[in-house]
Amino acid sequence: MGQFVQFAINGVMAGAIYALIAVGIVSVYKATKVVNFAHGYLIMFGAYFYFTFSVIIPNQPWAPEWLLSWQPDWLVAQKADLPMFSPMGAVLDWVSNLPRIVLGLTGALIANAIVGRIIERVLMRPLMGQSVFAMIMVTVGLISIMSGTASLIWTADAANVPFLSPSAPVKFEAFGTTIFLLGTDLVNMVLALLMFAAIVAFVKFTKGGIAIRATAEDQSTAYSMGISVPKVFSRAWVLASTTGAIAGAILATRNGISPSLGLFGFSVLAIVLMGGLDSYVGVLIAAMTVGVLEAMTQWKLGGSWAEIVPYVAVLIVLIWRPHGLMGQKEVERI
Amino acid sequence: MLTIENIEVTYHHTVQALRGLSLEVPDGKIVTLLGTNGAGKTTTLKAASNLLALENGEIGEGRIAFKGQSIMTVQPDKLVQQGLFHVREGRRIFSEMTVEDNLVAASYALDERKAKADYEKIYDFFPRLKERRKQIAGYLSGGEQQMLAFGRAMIARPELILMDEPSLGLAPKVVEEIFDTIRRLNAEDGVSILLVEQNAGVAFSVADYGYIMESGQIVMEGDVDTLRNDKDIQSFYLGVGEGDERQSFRDVKHYKRRKRWLS
Ligand SMILES: Nc1ncnc2c1ncn2[C@@H]1O[C@H](COP(=O)(O)OP(=O)(O)OP(=O)(O)O)[C@@H](O)[C@H]1O
Ligand SMILES: [Mg+2]
Repeated sequence: MGQFVQFAINGVMAGAIYALIAVGIVSVYKATKVVNFAHGYLIMFGAYFYFTFSVIIPNQPWAPEWLLSWQPDWLVAQKADLPMFSPMGAVLDWVSNLPRIVLGLTGALIANAIVGRIIERVLMRPLMGQSVFAMIMVTVGLISIMSGTASLIWTADAANVPFLSPSAPVKFEAFGTTIFLLGTDLVNMVLALLMFAAIVAFVKFTKGGIAIRATAEDQSTAYSMGISVPKVFSRAWVLASTTGAIAGAILATRNGISPSLGLFGFSVLAIVLMGGLDSYVGVLIAAMTVGVLEAMTQWKLGGSWAEIVPYVAVLIVLIWRPHGLMGQKEVERI
Repeated sequence: MLTIENIEVTYHHTVQALRGLSLEVPDGKIVTLLGTNGAGKTTTLKAASNLLALENGEIGEGRIAFKGQSIMTVQPDKLVQQGLFHVREGRRIFSEMTVEDNLVAASYALDERKAKADYEKIYDFFPRLKERRKQIAGYLSGGEQQMLAFGRAMIARPELILMDEPSLGLAPKVVEEIFDTIRRLNAEDGVSILLVEQNAGVAFSVADYGYIMESGQIVMEGDVDTLRNDKDIQSFYLGVGEGDERQSFRDVKHYKRRKRWLS
């Protein structure tokens, strides 16, 4: 039972990250009816930007020393007094890294927002009202462009990036077993779920959210009602690229950075299809289901099964409900 | 208020829908535009509200002016800020949103003006909408949906409303109610209206002036009283007299002309 809880928690933590990635795909789909096949590559860009601003720049000779490692007197003094392997030590290490973490996140958010904006303005906007199919094909083309660009820009080997939060281990007893978690994973999960909740609340309860829902349902009627549909488009892309930046930073700290991060987007696309392309709630359920299923197969059957079993579940759901768990029927048209 | 001069419209660069159409809506008047299916009525309205680009349609030649200014390059969301509101064919309410949210969506039309949305006014006009304001709009009856479509237009405080077949699929009693509202809005707030209809009877009951269109062109126009008494219109649009099948209004004329020639 304790093992079960351990793996369930691992699964939920992974599910939260999936959900954060999925939110970008759903938002773009809702606003523009475009299925963004290149979303994984936006996340890869986010990860590389985080690497750039939190590792490359602080390591430059011209960068101030405190940016790479902040060592104020009180921190040095505290550290000296600590016993070995104390959890407090992890927190203090994190504080030393804080300047470059903040720079990394801010830089990744802004840079990725700009990338999202450019994609929308240059590639999507001109096709507005012509053909959604063409726009989807453009996102497929983007995959090659983005992975090519990334390998041109970031030639250096991606070294370790700093964790977003202290990586102190968290241990507690449940059902007679010790549950072991990393503090940083917990914080990542909370961060991902908070962002997800904030976006859903925005769409459900604010006037800006009404503009998005109206555009989702009937673009031209929303437009003729004073809602600036182009603005809704570009906001959706910026939302996708900024949530993607955070997700990219988190993934970079968990699994390191490599061009294969882009492929991760396809697994999440499958999750999104399972939940229903235009349903935040459905996608959250799907993300959690796949996360937990993955952890459970990992536990019972081992790592190689973990990559297959959850996606077999996705296929079964899609055969049973072609528009996903909670998707609108119209989705079928695409 | 609105002047359309000689416009030509093509869809997908191939299908020509309008061929040199002209019409005018004077300040404070109700003008009706009649025509059979596919004549190009909806296209005319979409040209005026600049929605054609979204459907791969294009205005080739001609001019459209609203309040004396050309509006052919003004985006739809800006047009509605200037006071032109298009109530689209088939009502086009946001069916997954509540009645209230539908009205809030329309309040975007006021964003660049000082005005605030007056929801109470709409609920006074249509008490039934008030009762159902928290309901999902897709579950409203057809008549209630038309009221909501109308309510959205009123929220935007337009100077000109383009109305596309408000009577479509509604019971006579509901049609009566909707047309009373049109009359009231015109009389009380001085809103000009361009009314597209298939039901010539009700259209004539509110309009001041009428245009008849066929295959993308105006084929006849005049005061409503003149039109109402026109023999051809009576037989083709008002169902008076011989009721045999004819494909179009042109055929009526043609047929009459031939008859005259024969006799
Ligand atoms: N989006 C479109 N793409 C291509 N052709 C179109 C489009 N919309 C309209 N048409 C064509 O343009 C012509 C005029 O259509 P329009 O919808 O303006 O007619 P209408 O007078 O409003 O007819 P109805 O009374 O049936 O609503 C028709 O031949 C139609 O097939
Ligand atoms: Mg029509």
